[in-house]
Amino acid sequence: MSTDLPAQVTRTREGRPATVLEAIAEALWEEMERDERVFLLGEDIGAYGGAFKVTRGFIDRFGSARVIDTPISEGGFTGAAAGAAHMGLRPVVEMQFMDFISPAYDVLTNYIATSLYRGAGPLPLVVRGPVGGGNRGGPFHSQNVEMAFFHTPGLKIVYPSTPRDAKGLLKSAIRDDNPVIFEEHKGLYRAPYCRELLPRDDYAIPLGKARTALEGEDLTIVTYGLMVHRSLEAAAELAKDRIRAEVIDLRTLLPLDEDGIVASVQKTGKLLVVHEDTRTGGIAGEIAMRVNERAFEWLDGPILRVTAIDAPVPFSGELEDYFLPSVADVVTAGRYLFRY
Amino acid sequence: MSGDAVEDLLYQGFQGRLLEESLRRMPPSLRPEAATAVDVRAIVIARAMRQTVDGRGDLCCPGPMSPGPALAFGATPLEFLRHVTRRGTSPASARAGGTSWTDLRRGLIGWDGGRGTMTQVLAGAALAFAQGDQDRAALVFERRSAIETGAWHEGMNFAAAQRAPVIVVLAPPPGRGRRDRAEIEGVARGYGVGLLWFGGEPLIDVFESVAGARRRAVAGDGPSLIALAPRTDVDLRASHDAFVEWALAEGGRTRGDLESIERAAAAGVDHALGRIGKEPDPDPEEALAPVRTDTPSIRPWTRMKSPRPDELAGTAPSGAFGVH
Repeated sequence: MSTDLPAQVTRTREGRPATVLEAIAEALWEEMERDERVFLLGEDIGAYGGAFKVTRGFIDRFGSARVIDTPISEGGFTGAAAGAAHMGLRPVVEMQFMDFISPAYDVLTNYIATSLYRGAGPLPLVVRGPVGGGNRGGPFHSQNVEMAFFHTPGLKIVYPSTPRDAKGLLKSAIRDDNPVIFEEHKGLYRAPYCRELLPRDDYAIPLGKARTALEGEDLTIVTYGLMVHRSLEAAAELAKDRIRAEVIDLRTLLPLDEDGIVASVQKTGKLLVVHEDTRTGGIAGEIAMRVNERAFEWLDGPILRVTAIDAPVPFSGELEDYFLPSVADVVTAGRYLFRY
Repeated sequence: MSGDAVEDLLYQGFQGRLLEESLRRMPPSLRPEAATAVDVRAIVIARAMRQTVDGRGDLCCPGPMSPGPALAFGATPLEFLRHVTRRGTSPASARAGGTSWTDLRRGLIGWDGGRGTMTQVLAGAALAFAQGDQDRAALVFERRSAIETGAWHEGMNFAAAQRAPVIVVLAPPPGRGRRDRAEIEGVARGYGVGLLWFGGEPLIDVFESVAGARRRAVAGDGPSLIALAPRTDVDLRASHDAFVEWALAEGGRTRGDLESIERAAAAGVDHALGRIGKEPDPDPEEALAPVRTDTPSIRPWTRMKSPRPDELAGTAPSGAFGVH
């Protein structure tokens, strides 16, 4: 096996900033080195290194028994991951695009998510892969899949927005005893504005805890993934009008950091939820209900949301740009809410 | 076949037959919806695997052939009845039903959902055995119709591609008498896996064939497919009777041994039947069992002892909403 390290896992070792993709690759690499129970399955992740090259070179270091090229059968290899997890291994399944997770919906929701509750024990496995639009991928390579699984008790759902979080949260997901769906926005994979120097030490970020990406007093923006960056841009724009927005990055969608959201709303009295996923049945509805249950008396205005429109992700650039939530949309909603 | 295996098969064969008769006589309120037939061939196939109680033996999903293979892996008639009648004492605490449950220490794994899923899961378990270079194999019983599902083919394809040590048994279709051997042979050929076809062969031959398939699987030769041809209850009983005669003639057993084994098997079934009607219903709060290892279930606030919503107006919400 090769002793040369693939370039995408050496940024932190070399003291250079890492992209989200490199942070994810580093997390996988380090967890595989730390724990021999961790192994990878997915389409073309071995010799080819994965569609986005996250696992390029892994097979040379860890061998084909731990970097398994699977047939094109998302349900089959996700079910197999469950069996391996039952036997004490810690599989990490790569969906080439998370849009393709739908064939595995059955085994994920009916078998894997119910395992602990049925008395069949915990199933420590991660299903990770690229999500999100803005890359002209059209309806089958651009979806956000979180809400297809958000309704399923037993799962955890993680959606990082920065390299530091991507690495720390993925490590936590791999070490977690529960099944975790880990969404990686492909628009952040190599985004130049989204590079960070990562801690050299082993670190993990706990699941279920949001972070305050920006402190503010006038309104709360709850968001995640790529929309964290859109919301921060919007907050900078709002600040020109002396509107101080607080931006909460959820990081983990399930379990939801309800305490973190409520604490921010109690401070600002106003809530705007921003997500790239479509509107109906989006997480904004659940967040609004929970704030209604726990912080109704603190609200000084309606809870608003900025989301994609209720449509499949369109293919044409002009259509997709209109479909996706923009910085201007967030600014408009923020101004409205501030003045309410 | 070892002396222990002969004794086990006699015991489990008697027990299976008695359990089957008892299930058919149970009042409708207690009778399980399925699994009232015990195919002795399934018991023999399961017994040809390696059973332990420390979680290091083979893994078996009894599926539609339950309870026979489960008995071979150490389940008791009382456990089976508790599970299928959803008693509070059931192995899954009545949170899961069907005919199979999971007890990994004894090598039992169960789920009564979509066909083919357990072939996927057992293929993955077998992959873990192979990766760990362990003397372990997986055994899964599927309905014959599973091979008409994409899920099963995905699991079988994965197992074959990885040469995972898994044995997949296709149960005979209930009520269908015609064999579809050519189709199943084609499937086995397509995946490049061995096929064992069991009709009315002597049970000792079934045992030895499966033991051989298991050895080959563990040695890295990959999965095997087993098809059970439909047999009538009369035929299956005749198979068991023939095994009993073999045990007397060649298995070193006496009539006294057989009577003793049959008495012990009957006592186990009688005890289970006597107890099951007295077993408690589950505590409703069992529904609040955790769905994840580290987060408690959310209790509906309307079911708290003192919700007192009137006291909540204008005050900081408390745990009365049961949220976390």
